[in-house]
Amino acid sequence: MTAFLAVLAVGVGTFLSRSIFILALADRTIPPRVIRALEFVGPAVLSALVVALMVDDSGAVAVGAPEAAALAAGGLAGWKWRNLIYVVAAGMTVFWVMRVWF
Amino acid sequence: MPLVVAAIPFGLVVGLAITESGIGSFIGWTGAPIIFAGAAHLTLVTLLGTGTAVVAAVSAALVINARHMMYSAALAPTFQKQPRWFRWLGPYALLDQMFAIVILRKDDDPDDFRTYYLAAAATFFTFWNIIVALGLLIGPVVPATWQLGFAIPVMFVGIVVMSIDRYPKVVAAIVGAAASYLFAGLPNRAGLLVGALVGIIAGVLADQRSET
Repeated sequence: MTAFLAVLAVGVGTFLSRSIFILALADRTIPPRVIRALEFVGPAVLSALVVALMVDDSGAVAVGAPEAAALAAGGLAGWKWRNLIYVVAAGMTVFWVMRVWF
Repeated sequence: MPLVVAAIPFGLVVGLAITESGIGSFIGWTGAPIIFAGAAHLTLVTLLGTGTAVVAAVSAALVINARHMMYSAALAPTFQKQPRWFRWLGPYALLDQMFAIVILRKDDDPDDFRTYYLAAAATFFTFWNIIVALGLLIGPVVPATWQLGFAIPVMFVGIVVMSIDRYPKVVAAIVGAAASYLFAGLPNRAGLLVGALVGIIAGVLADQRSET
């Protein structure tokens, strides 16, 4: 139940962030600085999130070389091919191969 | 269509994350039509699965979707020429991929724009709900030793890298990661939100500096 409420809350919040300017502020101008700041939300949050997933509750790093190498491979694939399919394929291949050794 | 294909691994990973999180397949799946945003949905179920406080998990997912305000602002002038019902319905389907294709047609004839938008939205909606459900089916079948769940952070790294088109975004990403690590010991995994905020501020500062 709690999980469903969480889903609903994120659903409503997502709709609000997508509709806010279209519905409410259509005839006002938005400060360009605000728009520019929003561009940094994605990179900052997602990279903070990756780190959060790699540590345990006490804040210590909870993963080893295979994970680090896999993330690096995924990043390189994304940079080179700009395609999520390649990102997952490269990252997971490196992850599985490395785990055989470590 | 290529964008729908690109969404396939994403949707599968979301479905997989739901099975791993233990929040219940159906409840997890309802996020596909209700949230209708891959990154936020994935973040929410992953964090709920790791025992993050619900408020923190919801906040993190919402912060991730704050970028959609940018899309909303960019399309606001186009939507001014649209009927009221469409101004309410349209934003629901304003995914990253939708924005990428409809922004190219923002100056189209309003009726043409609406037809195009609705067709694209219906396509994404149908495929997305099916793909996430497929991920749910695949999740339990795959042996646990494969650790497919690791595809989640891998994918996030890929998204970050693909979103980087100028140097201040690199700053935002690196500082965000570093701050998230420094504050990782905070209760309820609040370090994630602190890290995100510090990263955004760093990006804005780097942006201002690069302009002057």
